Amino acid sequence: MSRQELFRRMRKSYFFVIGATLVLIIVLVALFSHYIAPHDPIKSNLAKRLLPPQGLSGGWSGNVMGTDPLGQDILSRLMVGSRVSLQISFSVVIITAVVGTALGIVAGYFGGIVDTVIMRFSDIQVSIPPIVLAIAVMSVLGNSTFNLIMVLVFTRWVQYARIVRSNVMMIRNTEFIHASIVLGSSKIRLMFTQIFPNVLTSLIIVISQEFGRTILTESSLSFLGLGVPPPAPSWGVMIADGREYLSTAPWVVIVPAVMLMFTVLAFNFLGDGVRDILDPKNKN
Amino acid sequence: MLKFILKRLAYTVFVLLGVSILTFLLLKLTPGSPAVLMLGDDATKEQIAAKEMEMGLDQPIVTQYLRYIGNVLKGDLGTSFFYKMPNSKLIFQRLPATGYLTLAALLLALLVSIPLGIIAGVKRGSFADMLAMVFALLGQSVSSVVLGLLFIIFFAVRLRWLPVMGYGGLAFVIMPAASLAMQMAALITRMLRSGLADVLQEDYITATHAKGIDSSTIIFKYALRNAILPVITVVGLQVGTFLGGAVVTEQIFGWPGIGTLTVQAIGLRDFSLVQSILLVISACFVLVNLLVDIIYTLVDPRMDFN
Repeated sequence: MSRQELFRRMRKSYFFVIGATLVLIIVLVALFSHYIAPHDPIKSNLAKRLLPPQGLSGGWSGNVMGTDPLGQDILSRLMVGSRVSLQISFSVVIITAVVGTALGIVAGYFGGIVDTVIMRFSDIQVSIPPIVLAIAVMSVLGNSTFNLIMVLVFTRWVQYARIVRSNVMMIRNTEFIHASIVLGSSKIRLMFTQIFPNVLTSLIIVISQEFGRTILTESSLSFLGLGVPPPAPSWGVMIADGREYLSTAPWVVIVPAVMLMFTVLAFNFLGDGVRDILDPKNKN
Repeated sequence: MLKFILKRLAYTVFVLLGVSILTFLLLKLTPGSPAVLMLGDDATKEQIAAKEMEMGLDQPIVTQYLRYIGNVLKGDLGTSFFYKMPNSKLIFQRLPATGYLTLAALLLALLVSIPLGIIAGVKRGSFADMLAMVFALLGQSVSSVVLGLLFIIFFAVRLRWLPVMGYGGLAFVIMPAASLAMQMAALITRMLRSGLADVLQEDYITATHAKGIDSSTIIFKYALRNAILPVITVVGLQVGTFLGGAVVTEQIFGWPGIGTLTVQAIGLRDFSLVQSILLVISACFVLVNLLVDIIYTLVDPRMDFN
């Protein structure tokens, strides 16, 4: 696909335009959260605890979205928390893509025993529900951001490996690969300079779909107290903190919950847009 | 077909063995000896050594695994460190509640998504189609945590229509089931919509139109049968996500199932119980998928058994 055609399809896809714009805004806010947040996100002030959202009536430095049980400003925590959540999701998606792709290429290219071992392991892996596995592993290892990322990678690599593998098996026997072998390419070179570019499209589609899911899983784990350790204000932690105040101060839950939904929606829009652009036949 | 089912059974046994190895290794990762966890911190060195010997922890790891799997096959999933009760008993006490919740959620997901998906797929571009798409997009972006808490705030706390939490009949199960069902309902709606729209463009559908068969017969008798096939597979694969979601949902609604037990076990650092739960949930998931594959062979006569 030419560059012009790519841009034309990008502009034509509403999903892509809306998703990309929203994601860009969210990422920018997350990146600069420390500068633009009106308050210190982890400074408690018990005199100001559980204040309802006051909009902009108190100006930007008021508690625009209210305060939580410790008197911390919810908007500031939301902004800084988006950074925590996004950092984790990006790391997970990138590492999973690298690991999954490498295993998928190796399995698809070599076939035989290597393929059998990797694929049978993936069968076992997908037989354990991801959240349950993550809960079990996190409870054993203890919660730290590093463990959280590793666990999420461990539960999601199969997705990539399977798609990449089936792609590799399709192109392994094409003429340009044979030509490359005849020209004396080493296996490593073949896998990463000839085969890899050809699975890139499928890979980008999967990656774009995975962000939303990863953010959701991370928030669920953090909600259960098995994600990001305190005092980092992850969204899941913020939602969990508000659970006891559902009747007296519902905004403590509603604000991060709606923000989480909105963010995942933005990433899902982007994911659907990317698929529309790269794989117009698949309208699932 | 019998050969296919036998092959599928053998494969299921293989996967279950693999899962048991993983769960066994998980417990080996725990910091500290299980004997210490069982006896408490004030146990003497001799007591710990004696207990370790009794539990076979001084044996090589392969022997330990064989002993573990032997016990599992006899129905002995080990003993909970905290409750001092067999894990199997603790888990099977809680299994009905989780089964009830997941079945209610599955039913709800199908009841909502199948009509919605059919209408959207048949009348593409209509207002109903748009509504279905908005439902699907929002549904896929909301976790059961978020939805469950929002339900509690609006339907239980504000409107006072439903009890906040607890175990019981329809009034109690509707909120947890709905928050658990949402993701699957959204996914099925989308799949059915696009699947049906594709099938309706096939030549054989045009042919039935030409024969003068009325539209509703065509949709329900000819088109739906093909469009529903991928949905069956996805429902099976989603059961895993479902069981995982149940863990979180139960926690929110104080539902006395496996999920609450899991979170309790983690809080108490009762790793033996966590391990057994992981094994049982995965076994349920694997068996559901075995069932789905067998159902599939019955629904789709084109199925290639090799």
